[in-house]
Amino acid sequence: MSRARPALTPWLLVSPGALLFLGLIVLPLVLTFILSFHVYDHTTGIKNEFTLAHYAAVVSDDYYLGIFWRTLRLAALTTLICAAVGLPEAYVLSRMRDPWRSVFLLVIIGPLLVSVVVRAFGWSMLLGSTGLVNQLLQALGFGTAKLLYTESAIVIALVHVMLPFMVIPIWTSLQKLDPMVEAAAWSLGASRFTALRRVVMPQVSLGMLSGSLIVFGLSASAFAIPGLLGGRRLKMAATLVYDEYMHELNWPLGAAIAIMVLLANLIIMLAYNRMVEARARRTLG
Amino acid sequence: MGFLTLESLSKVYGELAAVRDVDLSVAKGEFVSLLGPSGCGKTTTLQMIAGLVEPSKGKITLDGRDITRVTPNNRGLGIVFQSYALFPHMTVAQNVAFGLEMRKVPRAEREERVKAMLGLVHLGQFAERYPRQLSGGQRQRVAIARALVIQPPVLLLDEPLSNLDAKLREEMQFELRRIQQRVGTTTIMVTHDQAEALSISDRVVVMEQGRMTQIDAPYRLYERPATAFISSFVGKMNRLDGVWRRHGASGHAEIAGMKLPSEAVDLADGYAVALSIRPEKLLLKPAGQGRLDGKIVNRFFLGSYWLFNVETAIGLISVSVPNDGEEPASEGDTVALDWTPASLRVEALSAQGAAA
Repeated sequence: MSRARPALTPWLLVSPGALLFLGLIVLPLVLTFILSFHVYDHTTGIKNEFTLAHYAAVVSDDYYLGIFWRTLRLAALTTLICAAVGLPEAYVLSRMRDPWRSVFLLVIIGPLLVSVVVRAFGWSMLLGSTGLVNQLLQALGFGTAKLLYTESAIVIALVHVMLPFMVIPIWTSLQKLDPMVEAAAWSLGASRFTALRRVVMPQVSLGMLSGSLIVFGLSASAFAIPGLLGGRRLKMAATLVYDEYMHELNWPLGAAIAIMVLLANLIIMLAYNRMVEARARRTLG
Repeated sequence: MGFLTLESLSKVYGELAAVRDVDLSVAKGEFVSLLGPSGCGKTTTLQMIAGLVEPSKGKITLDGRDITRVTPNNRGLGIVFQSYALFPHMTVAQNVAFGLEMRKVPRAEREERVKAMLGLVHLGQFAERYPRQLSGGQRQRVAIARALVIQPPVLLLDEPLSNLDAKLREEMQFELRRIQQRVGTTTIMVTHDQAEALSISDRVVVMEQGRMTQIDAPYRLYERPATAFISSFVGKMNRLDGVWRRHGASGHAEIAGMKLPSEAVDLADGYAVALSIRPEKLLLKPAGQGRLDGKIVNRFFLGSYWLFNVETAIGLISVSVPNDGEEPASEGDTVALDWTPASLRVEALSAQGAAA
């Protein structure tokens, strides 16, 4: 018995996590995958026959392709802006001394404690036609601008939500940096900016990589923000899936779109990871 | 006026003065070490010269130019950091070329100079390696090459050898001196290792609690330490408290009634003095044939010499004897100590506390 236990222990330890993963992720995914091949009829509903028609419909229809393209574009833009804002933010954070560092770390993580839906409504109030932003624009004499239900609104809100996921990995990799390395670059004649670009940034590229993977993945599958700030017409992949399920009641088509988004996301992220990580690993070890 | 001068340089952190009114003048081509225990302010001094720490007070001039407020990237000094601070994502050649790139040196000349510099530090074959693929000693030499390739007026070394093992440290000491003499760069090295400071410097500056307490050539520092702290910090020293007995124009030192021949000093009778003598200045003789008898308590063999701890009437005395190939006296033996009077140094403590 005492001989059997060591072999059993790791399985027992891993079982809660594995069961959760199997029951809540793998199983629904498999069911969705099967569902996406079912035939759907508008009068009788889902039939127990199999077809590739849903996939063919999505690939051949400009409407769906347009939404996929927008999703990709907005997710990439969000990632880019998050990286551009997050890097200096993380750098400043890493140079702060302690009382302030903790305060600002909390400020950065703070938004995560508020529901995404609440934050999306907040933005829709700010960006609405009579919202604070437009009042300010009017007061300054620029006239009103249509902000709500535009791609800009979606990107603004996504950046706000995703920023912590970029700042924290970069900050972690900055922590590991020898502060003297930057001083060495200065002593060799590099300006502060050059030192940052040539010496600090390449070394936090792994942190930026994981940050952008998280941000891209979450943005491409974001639901609440495009749903509330994009309006009925400006759809992204997740809101499209929702519409197919809940409004069209065409579950198999929705499932097919969901599977395609998942695969596209997976391919993009793996390719990106392979590309950047391979290079970083080679030099940084 | 020296090439590099520090004038009443101070750095105060809140209440604590890390460096207090430091004055130093370094000549062109000179190798100066700042020696002291950790927390004595030597690294802060170096960082102020480098421009990484802003002085609270005082002035730094380089070749007649005031550089006190100049940013580090405009000082043009070469710095070798304790951690080496190599750029991990660049090859050895790229590391060394970085400073030249910042100076907009044309590519052809840059490659030429990098190659020559890597040759000087014997790293020619390692140009395409990354720092993590090098040993500690090799990294150290990359750091030196990187700092020297820009032909800095002054080279600053922050504990450059402390991360190396003992054997490599000794090799690199001489290597460092060889490179410095070859290039002729004015060099300031911070170290807590007195052997390192003594062996390769032209002058050693001893720092204690933010002050420079002695600035001297290594052998003078060793023979004539200015303070009790320096005498114990630099090399080994036997230190005993005694009394000065004056008779006429001369006198002698005395401890517990024992008369000890020493160097001549001009002190009043009964003056309390500190007597000090280096272990290697003492000779071991058969019992009764020296100036002071004692019993060997411990004996240590250290390769090139033997170290004895001898219990005498005036206290425990360390004696070191060169290894001449024969086994010397062993533990428990009674021996006599002898010395030339001039090697027993006498320092006045104060008139008070004089033995009756």
